[in-house]
Parts: sequence; structure tokens; C-alpha cells
Amino acid sequence: MVTQPLNRREFIGTAAAAGAGLMLASPAKVMAQATGANSRLNLALIGFGAQGRVLLESLLAIEGIQLTAIVDIWPYARTYGQRYLKTLGHPVRTYENYEELLANEKDLQAVIVATPDFWHTPITNACLKAGLHVYCEKMMSNTIEGARSMVQTMRETGKLLQIGHQRRSNPRYLFALNRLIRAAKLLGRLTAAQAQWNRAATADFGWPKHTDMTAEQLAKYGYTDMHQFRNWRWFKGLGGGPLSDLGAHQIDIFNWWFGVEPRAVLASGGIDYYKNHEWYDNAMVIYEYPLPDGVARAFYQVQTTTSAGGGYFEYFMGDEGALKISENPNLTAIYKEAKSPSWDELVAKNYLRTRAAPAAATDATKVDVRETAQLAEYEIPVSFSKKIHQPHLENFFNAIRGKAKLNCPADEAFPSEYVIHKANEAIAARKTLEITPQETEA
Amino acid sequence: MSEPVIHVFNHHAMATQFQVRIAGEEKAYAEQAAQAVLALADELESRLSRFRADSEISQISQLAVGGTLRLSEPVFACLEIARWMELAMRGAFSVTAAAMKTRLAKPLWSLLETEFSIRCDSGRLEFDLGAIGKGFALDRMAEVLREWSCPAFLLVAGGSSILAGDPPAETPGWSCGLGDDHSPHRFWLKHCSLSGSGLTVRGQHIVDPRTGLPGSRRNRAWALTDTAAESDALSTACMMLDEPDIAGVLAHNDRWLVFLNEGGSWRHLGNRPLPPAA
Repeated sequence: MVTQPLNRREFIGTAAAAGAGLMLASPAKVMAQATGANSRLNLALIGFGAQGRVLLESLLAIEGIQLTAIVDIWPYARTYGQRYLKTLGHPVRTYENYEELLANEKDLQAVIVATPDFWHTPITNACLKAGLHVYCEKMMSNTIEGARSMVQTMRETGKLLQIGHQRRSNPRYLFALNRLIRAAKLLGRLTAAQAQWNRAATADFGWPKHTDMTAEQLAKYGYTDMHQFRNWRWFKGLGGGPLSDLGAHQIDIFNWWFGVEPRAVLASGGIDYYKNHEWYDNAMVIYEYPLPDGVARAFYQVQTTTSAGGGYFEYFMGDEGALKISENPNLTAIYKEAKSPSWDELVAKNYLRTRAAPAAATDATKVDVRETAQLAEYEIPVSFSKKIHQPHLENFFNAIRGKAKLNCPADEAFPSEYVIHKANEAIAARKTLEITPQETEA
Repeated sequence: MSEPVIHVFNHHAMATQFQVRIAGEEKAYAEQAAQAVLALADELESRLSRFRADSEISQISQLAVGGTLRLSEPVFACLEIARWMELAMRGAFSVTAAAMKTRLAKPLWSLLETEFSIRCDSGRLEFDLGAIGKGFALDRMAEVLREWSCPAFLLVAGGSSILAGDPPAETPGWSCGLGDDHSPHRFWLKHCSLSGSGLTVRGQHIVDPRTGLPGSRRNRAWALTDTAAESDALSTACMMLDEPDIAGVLAHNDRWLVFLNEGGSWRHLGNRPLPPAA
């Protein structure tokens, strides 16, 4: 059933002695030894808000890189970042904006862009043109045109542009897609998918007293006031709302795993809960994917008006099984249809691990009647002791060193970017929108 | 004298109920500050919980002997405190206490300060931060409130640990009782933490890290210290230590105070002055 050996990207070792399943060795030290001191990469982090801080924690765990500067328009964020990094023994220089960074830091090889979405295009294009490789958080841009221009600049400059869909470098996602769905065809014919990210309703972000930027500073960077600056994700012209903030990751998984772009999108959503937001606070979307064996439909739901209970995940279904996957390994499960071929060989090879199995009938003439029997349930025996963004950043750095191919270059991310923008359009239009293959080309 | 306005916010994290009480602020501002504080509690839970497969504590449990893992600043800081409290408590407190129930030997580990890393020296590092994790969270939450210029606060974790900042205006402190609701044994607290450990609510659940066995010597103990991480570890250790050992522990720190109630008789141990009775 499984014939291909595991590839290096999946980097799977043998099962741990304690039976903990397949373990992924931390490559940080291995990489540093292999590349040597000469390949140390100097980089800057542009945008030190919530996402910038998340990425920083992953960066700090990667050897062979030197964070030399952080950039943020908010003095409070710059001071916080500089102090925090000094505590960790990593002094950095700080700058208010990317122009100052590029004017003063002449030994950079790469930047990490984690600003609000509407700044991604100008910053990324400027840094690429300055000869730097760029890791840019998703969404690529708050506009389709902006995202397309980033792909063009990447091509013109020949520099690398990785988009921050970090699941594309997650070993469990790679294993599930390449080994289980594509090689072993575990789910049979794929017919449907669903994904959801429901986030608990929350008040808008505030900011500590005495940390306000002036009206002039805010206007210089495109904000009307501190509230809009702190809550930019909710404002048109700055971000794309929950479908782009949360849905982008998961809708990208639809495209990646189905291997094609959808040909139509139908969506509904609205501003039904919050009184001072411009973007939809809830959305439900259906995409139609033209797979070789027939259409598969994918349903996506994002709520910011509910409880977050249950976590967020993606769920792919075929006529022989279903696979639920999430960045949280506890939410990952694989279910087998009773009629589908045996998975015992995969279990024996440690490609799957049994979580629960119905008892086999030992005597076909007898039956015991009790509560409903448990479905056959399996899990992916792959774990890794890294922060969830770390493998994607490592892929970016390894690509700079010529040791890897980007897992999510901008031109491959663009189709996802496009169909996410189209979902917002479909909500506004209140109808099904067709999507042609030509539209999703960058 | 009118009652001070106190804004109260509740949140579930770390398998417990956190409460943030803020005095002397406008409601909208207090709400935003509480949101920032409670977001920190969630973030710390994601790093410190042994029930989260992707937490740093879970990642530590996967380390092979000799393996190292780089930690985030808060996890490193929390483990530094835990390591220090283990020494100060003469082994009666340990983050590997629960693991000792099923292990023959105590796992050993080192913190590598210059690398902000942990190294597994022997065994499997199955950490259960338990109360010290919640106490550490309270300490970090207090830092955020001070950053937000909200000095008058009371932070509560699960009813067993509190951390008091400035008192509400025109009050001598936050009125805190030892024991059950409306306890008559009350103190006005400010700028300190009070934690309680006991068997009354959860039964015999405290493992003596020195033996791996349930080892409670008493039903309840309370600790008053400057920080919540310390008070949580100290009250837990006091469940295992006999009185001469408690006195020995307290002799080295004038900022610690322990309350015991056995046979209906209240007494306190330690050189820290008693807070005023409420």
C-alpha cells in the first residue's frame, strides 16, 4: 500500500524507545553545525505586535540567525521589544519604520514582516528591491493588486518571498498530506472538507495610559486614532476581517491539499454582533473544487461572536475515511469507514497509530447488544518539539542558504490569497461568484 | 464613606477560575486592562500546561537524556523559581512530584542560563507546575496591570491564591480570609500574596516529592509571601513538612509567613510581621 520512502522534508526518525511514536529531532543544532558560522543570517523583524512577538519566540529557538533590529511605529512596542530582548541577552537596534531600517542596517540578509496587512505590500516590495529576502505574514496584502505586485517584485528581484502559511511546513500536515492522503490514498476519493475557527467574543483591544501616539504619528502611518491602530483587523482598507485573519490559514489548506483552486465561491456573513467594526464578524463560505474524480465542496466557518470551545481544525473527508487535523495534535484524528480496505499495514509500519478500534467478532453466530460501538479511530504518530511557526521560518532560512525549496513562495500562496478575497466579495454580493483559473494566476 | 468601585472580571484558564479585580479606574479602561491581563493568562497556559501537546512543558517531557530545549522567557523564569523553591523547601516541593508516583528515581534537569534552555540530565521530565504555575501567572499578570497604570488590584486564582496590589481607595487593604467563605480569620492585605493548600476540597492529592507517596501531614496550610509563585510553593510544601522543618525553612526568609490550623487552634510561623486583622 505504501511504497515510497519518507522524504527528508518529513524528517522522520524511528519510533522512540518508549513507544512515543515518531519523533522529529530538533534540527537547530544540526543545521548550525552543517552550515557553519559563515552562513549566519542577519535579519530584522518589522512589526512587533502580537504576531511579531509570536514569531520572535520561534526565531529565538533557531540557531544560525542573528536578529539585529526590530521595527515598529509604536514607541511602546519598540521599548518593550528592546527590553525583552536585552533580558534574553540579545541586544537589538530599533527603528520606527522600514525606511529607517533600510537606510541604517547595511548587513541584513532578510526581514520578517509582521505589520498590519495594508503595510505588507509597500514594505515587502521595498525590502525585496533592497536586495533582502522576505518572510511576510499572511495575508499577503489587503488587496489582490497588492498581493500580485509582491509576486511580480519577487520575480523581478530574484529574492525569496515566503508567505507565513506556517502549516505548509508543519511535519504533521506534510506527513498527512504526502504519506496518508496522496501516497496511501487513505481517504479514498476526496469528496468534501470543512474547517472552522471560532474565536471567543472579546472587547476591542485597548492600550496602556501614556502610550498614545500623536494624531500626526498615527496619520503618517494611515490610522485615524489609537483605537483603529490597535484594532486594525476590523477596518476596511487596513485588514481583511476574520476571513483573512483566521480563515486564510485554513482556506489555504483547502487549496494545498486539494491541489487545485476552487472554481466557485458562495458565502454569507455580516456585522451582526459588534457595533463599531467595518469587517464581518462572522462568515460561512462554500467553495467548489474541481477534483479529477468530481467536485468536492469545502465549507468554511469563522466566528468571532461565539465561544471558542472545541478549538480550530480542518477536516477532510473521502469515501473511505476522514481526517481531522489541527496545529493542536490533540485535535487530530483519522476515522476509517468499515467498508474501506484494511489499514493494518499502515499501522504496522507506524504510519498510523490506533486510538480506538471496534472489537472484532470472534464468532459470527453470536452477537452482544450494548451501547453503540466505537468507530475505528487512528492518529498520526508524528510529533515535534518546536513552536508551531519554527519549521516554516527554518524552511525560509534554509532556502536562503540554498539548502531547501520554499514551502510557500508568494506565487504559490497567491491563489489562496485570491480566493479568500473572493469570499469577502461573495458576502458583499450575496451570490455565488465564479472563479476562473486565469484569475488566480499571479 | 462610600464603597469603592471595584470592577470584577472572570476568566477560565489553567483549569481554574481566574478573577481580576481592579479599583480606581473607569470601567472601560479597567475592562481593556483586564483583557490584556487575561490574554496573558491564556498565553501562559499555552506554554505551561502539561495537557497541551504543543506546550513547552509537553515538549520538555519529550526530551531524551542529554537533550536540550530552548525555552521562552516566562517558562524559563517559572522553572528558575520552581528550582529555587525546591531547594528552599528542602525537597518538599518539586515540579516532578506527580511523576514520582510512577517513577523509581527523581528525574534530573539543568537550566542553562546563557542559552535560556533546559537540559534533561536523567529520566523523563514530566513536570506538573500545578499551583506554582498559577502563582507565577498571577505575578506576571500583576506586572501587566502596573504597566497599564492600574496599581489597585486583587488577582485571584481558583480561590486558593491571591495577589494583592494597592488597596482600594480609603481602605487599609483587601480583606482576605483564611479558609472557607466568610472566614472570621481575616487580614487586610496589600502588596503580597496569600495561598492555601489543603485536602478539604480535592482530598488527598498532594504527593511528597521526597517519597512519591501521598504525604500530607495536615489538612490545611496557608503561606503569605511577596509573590504568588512563592506562596503557592510554600503552602504546598507546608503540607508535607513537620513544624521544625517549616521553622527551619522560614528562618532563612523574613518575608515568609505560614499559618496553620490544627485542632481548632490557629498559629503562625515565621518572622514576617502579621498583617493587620480585618
